[in-house]
Amino acid sequence: MHPQLASIFDQAENRYLKVEELKLISQYVASMPERLDTYRNLRDRELEIMQAVVDQLQAALPEESEENLERCIKHALLMLRYCALSLLINDESLIQKRFLDWVGPLAQAYDTKTIDAKLYRLLNQQLAKMLTAKQMGYLSPGLALAQEALLSQSMNPAGGRR
Amino acid sequence: MISVADLLTNNRIPGNFYAPDVYVRGDLEVGLLENRQGDRLLAVPETLIQAIYSGLDKETGQASRLVLFNCGKWWGKSFYTRFCEQISGYYGTPLADVAMIEFLQALQACWIAHGWGKIDLDQTYQQRGFLIVKTWNSAFARLAPSQNQPVCYLEAGALTSFFSRLTGRELHCVQTSCESMGADCNRFLLGLPQRLEPVETMVTHLDHDAIMQQMCQPGL
Repeated sequence: MHPQLASIFDQAENRYLKVEELKLISQYVASMPERLDTYRNLRDRELEIMQAVVDQLQAALPEESEENLERCIKHALLMLRYCALSLLINDESLIQKRFLDWVGPLAQAYDTKTIDAKLYRLLNQQLAKMLTAKQMGYLSPGLALAQEALLSQSMNPAGGRR
Repeated sequence: MISVADLLTNNRIPGNFYAPDVYVRGDLEVGLLENRQGDRLLAVPETLIQAIYSGLDKETGQASRLVLFNCGKWWGKSFYTRFCEQISGYYGTPLADVAMIEFLQALQACWIAHGWGKIDLDQTYQQRGFLIVKTWNSAFARLAPSQNQPVCYLEAGALTSFFSRLTGRELHCVQTSCESMGADCNRFLLGLPQRLEPVETMVTHLDHDAIMQQMCQPGL
């Protein structure tokens, strides 16, 4: 749950919630049908979206080994799944804790930035085609958070660790 | 051509098995801590660690180091078995087939999730037959009575077993720098027992760099 919402519910122990606090909750509840639709859409079309991206990626990087590409694609699948979950429960901290803390160091060690940059561009284009503008609006913040964090990492050519 | 469907085994992509918010679970009513598989976890309060140190010191004196080291070895054996089971179960591959980078990352995440602090490997001296393991924020260093030599015997024992099992060779481990003595991290030197023998006495008067310099001199 979004940390702000969670703290509002904690406050409710001592007093009735204020108008502005209830407004935040209503906004979340009102956005729920759209969030669920986006989530279902991503879940049901995951293969279709990613396969289209992968085909373009392979065509764009023919010299890249399948092993490297597959690793990046798996990480992108994981990213999309966590972003989908995060938009559903409205909590981006999940992306940091479950995805970036794990995949960040791996991406750094395997030095996958070149492939990732290309992959994310294709993925974002594909998503924009498959989702409505409103759905993209729910997905984009989390997706941008994950992608920017991975692409802004400094790379260590020695495969060094944190 | 890469097929995305083929990359999804049982429609899943494994992430971090040891993500702390998923890995550690508790049931307050029965007062139990468990991991995500339902295995029991034990929360060790600072008072207990201090009591272990002072109790062992009273009962066994100098031998308390050896006692802690052997306890660590015992624990490290089970730790290795559990780690293998968890990794191979979750990632669907035997530990031997897990790439070094993923292995190390899982070990680091596992170390953090169990509250042992941070861990990393330094392979600078690998060609010379030594592996250095570095740890940070060790409760066993922080709560130990101050001594003029490294104090993390429990961890040294655990690392001995863990890496002996992992490499299939009988290894020994000696701690060469310690947070309890103001070092930036705890360093543990792993290698064959007979080669590490001289290090046992060096740690009382030499720092890590000086020890490594001695160990890498020709003829040793």
